[in-house]
Amino acid sequence: MRNENSQHVAENVSAERRNFFKKTAALSATAIAGAGMLTGSRAMAADDPVIMNTPAWGHKIGYGVTKNRYGLPSPYEHNVTRRNSKLLSSGNWQASIAMCPIQDLSGIMTPNGLFFSRCHGGIPTINPNEWRLMIHGLVEKPLVLTLDQLKRYPNVSRIHFVECPANGGPEWRGPQFNSIQFAKGMMSNAEWTGVYLKDILKDLGLKPEAQWMLAEGIDSSHMGRTVPVDKVLDDAMIVWGQNGEALRPEQGYPVRLLLPGWEGNLCVKWLGRLEFAAEPFYAKEETAKYTALKPTGKAIQHFYANEVNSIITNPCPEKPWTDLKKGDLVEIEGLAWSGMGTIEGVDISFDGGMNWVEANLKGLVLPKSWTRFSFMYKYEGKPLILASRARDDAGYIQPTIDQEVAVMGVESVYHRNGISSWEVTANGEVNNVQVRSEVKAVDGKMKFVGES
Amino acid sequence: MLKFDRKYILAASAAAAAAIFTAGCAGDSAAPAAKNADNVLTYANGKRVIDGGRYYATVNDKRGPYYVNTNAENGGYAYGRTPTENELNAWNTTVTPWRLPPEGEGTVEEGEAVYEAKCVMCHGDFGSGGGGYPALSKGNAYDNVKTLKYQRTSPDHEGPIRVFGNYWPEASTLWWYIMEGMPHPDTRTLTDDEVYSLVAYIMNLNEMEVDGVPVDEDFVMNQETFAKIVMPNKDGFEPNIKGAKATDDVRAYYANPENFGAQKIAAADERCMHDCQKPTAKVTQITIEQKEFIPPLSEVRDLPQEEGVSPAEAEAKANYEQNCAVCHGAAGMGAPVFGDKAAWADVVGKGMDTVYANAINGINAMPPKGGSDLSDEKFKAVVDYMISQSK
Repeated sequence: MRNENSQHVAENVSAERRNFFKKTAALSATAIAGAGMLTGSRAMAADDPVIMNTPAWGHKIGYGVTKNRYGLPSPYEHNVTRRNSKLLSSGNWQASIAMCPIQDLSGIMTPNGLFFSRCHGGIPTINPNEWRLMIHGLVEKPLVLTLDQLKRYPNVSRIHFVECPANGGPEWRGPQFNSIQFAKGMMSNAEWTGVYLKDILKDLGLKPEAQWMLAEGIDSSHMGRTVPVDKVLDDAMIVWGQNGEALRPEQGYPVRLLLPGWEGNLCVKWLGRLEFAAEPFYAKEETAKYTALKPTGKAIQHFYANEVNSIITNPCPEKPWTDLKKGDLVEIEGLAWSGMGTIEGVDISFDGGMNWVEANLKGLVLPKSWTRFSFMYKYEGKPLILASRARDDAGYIQPTIDQEVAVMGVESVYHRNGISSWEVTANGEVNNVQVRSEVKAVDGKMKFVGES
Repeated sequence: MLKFDRKYILAASAAAAAAIFTAGCAGDSAAPAAKNADNVLTYANGKRVIDGGRYYATVNDKRGPYYVNTNAENGGYAYGRTPTENELNAWNTTVTPWRLPPEGEGTVEEGEAVYEAKCVMCHGDFGSGGGGYPALSKGNAYDNVKTLKYQRTSPDHEGPIRVFGNYWPEASTLWWYIMEGMPHPDTRTLTDDEVYSLVAYIMNLNEMEVDGVPVDEDFVMNQETFAKIVMPNKDGFEPNIKGAKATDDVRAYYANPENFGAQKIAAADERCMHDCQKPTAKVTQITIEQKEFIPPLSEVRDLPQEEGVSPAEAEAKANYEQNCAVCHGAAGMGAPVFGDKAAWADVVGKGMDTVYANAINGINAMPPKGGSDLSDEKFKAVVDYMISQSK
């Protein structure tokens, strides 16, 4: 019975198809010319031609699975790329930075091809078969590992951001970039796979006088940084995996150090050597670059964790509200992160940080990771100064620009986490602005102009 | 302070009332909202977390939100091998305040010659900088320490000078930088003597002294003189990182948010919700806009323009992908394969008139114009494209 029915149905379908082909053949040749095929002959002005016509991809066979064996984004997304600027580079592009297009990202994971990229001596092409890791200094048993041997250790996967401490650094004195990609794009977030360094050290016998670890790269810049043993024995990882695949060359292939929440440059890429010592190393970029000068004339060295921070990603200068009409309900969305803990909450301000309301967190809320926040807003077509303010579970909350400048001045380059704001104009355009007081330096202290 | 304050407050206050209600509800179920208790800011050994942040202890096989296999954390791994003495020496070449450079020597005069040959193109005459590379000197190192208090609070204010001579606390860092990182295009190619001479030359440019002796033209830099260098700004950094209690000093420094411009609250409900800006604060617009973005910013979704490809070529390529690649893109379809030079040489050998005619009228299994609706002219362009890519 069942078979008969099936056959009956099949015959009917065939008959219908024959019918269809007859009708199609009856159409004039011009009706099927061009990219589309009209499905009805009476298209009205109100009808959307992309609905009324069948586009080429709807009837021409697509490309085979043999193409793009390593997949690529749609060519229509070609404007979603890292970007760079001469302002943020040494003379060539080999000691430079490429910014992550955070305006185009969704969720909390950064695709590996869009992960921000900073290097001091170009990006090396390292043969993983000739890669070695050496661990020595104040350990009972120094060690050399190949990549395969390293990967034999039990692995862990953790979702963490990596942020250059200079993220937002060009804007200590005021806004400069009308772009979220350039104002905040020196960071990305990924799932990293590797081994806890403390698990390797268990068998090597770390000597009690060891306070510091040098991490050194094997690229041409031999980037080195001194790391306190505290971090090494807490959550420091040696990682080879990034979002499920091998690290990209731009992120340190084959192996990098990952110090969750700490300055990106401390997470030494193209890692080759770890040396333990009683005294710090004063490595090459340690004072030449990564120190934060205060108005007292003293500079903070060994400035480790990226402090709690946030930015509204929607709207932003690249993603304005110019298409909204009055009364539209719209989501204000953004990213919050802290290198010192887990995001506990984010507040939103519509008046440049004068008054605040609490936003919602959404999705995964993980330690030292990007965290999404969301606020539903009824658009009124009025000018606004939108701002966000995050706090973490270590008790930190983002300072106002004035609070931060009062201590750090305007010359510290690094670790700027003061509240960011966007101006939304009456027609929905979005501009980078800052809410701040005029300051001057007097005897090593910052004074607010107009304040007694 | 803000010009539009009043209307913002009106717009925001309704939302604020809603948010307070939500927060009140959430507060009941999420009791730990009262916390930031001190015990989460210390390691398992009771010492304060070194960066001033949180510590996530392992509790019931979970660390924070992550499950962990604690059986994997007890050691017992015998992978790898012990490095040889030669291997250790080969890789351990870094110079620190407690590890002198290798033996060797160089004078200021020799350093100038090396500098002129290998460094000047990036670092400029007499270390003046240029082309985006760092300056190595801005005059007298001792005088310039005072500039470290300068703040460019407005364009007419001078900023601090941060070059080797007046800023860096240790001369060993200069040795390290030159030996491991210079010359930039081809590092680790200088001899020890060349590095000594460059150290001497750069100190000369910074008008520095060693043990009261000016580093002038015939000054000889070697292990002995290098060890005596005292940098003018050696005490210009905080927290302390030297000595047996260094990491405790760092710990204490980051325990105080005031040291590094951070703000802390004891509980979430202590945060400021109203009137949170200083009366002097105002909205600051971009004055000097930086817009040299490469590539230029664009949120448009369209097909990329390939560099050096004319629109006609791009169109022919797209038409190929759409109409021909199914059969010509891979072997086994009986059609000459795209990029197969020999196969296409045979095709072209028939003469282009025949090739065009076959393509337009169809041949063997190939339908007229590959089944496309293209004009003869456009289809010829596709044929030309396929031939040009198969030469």
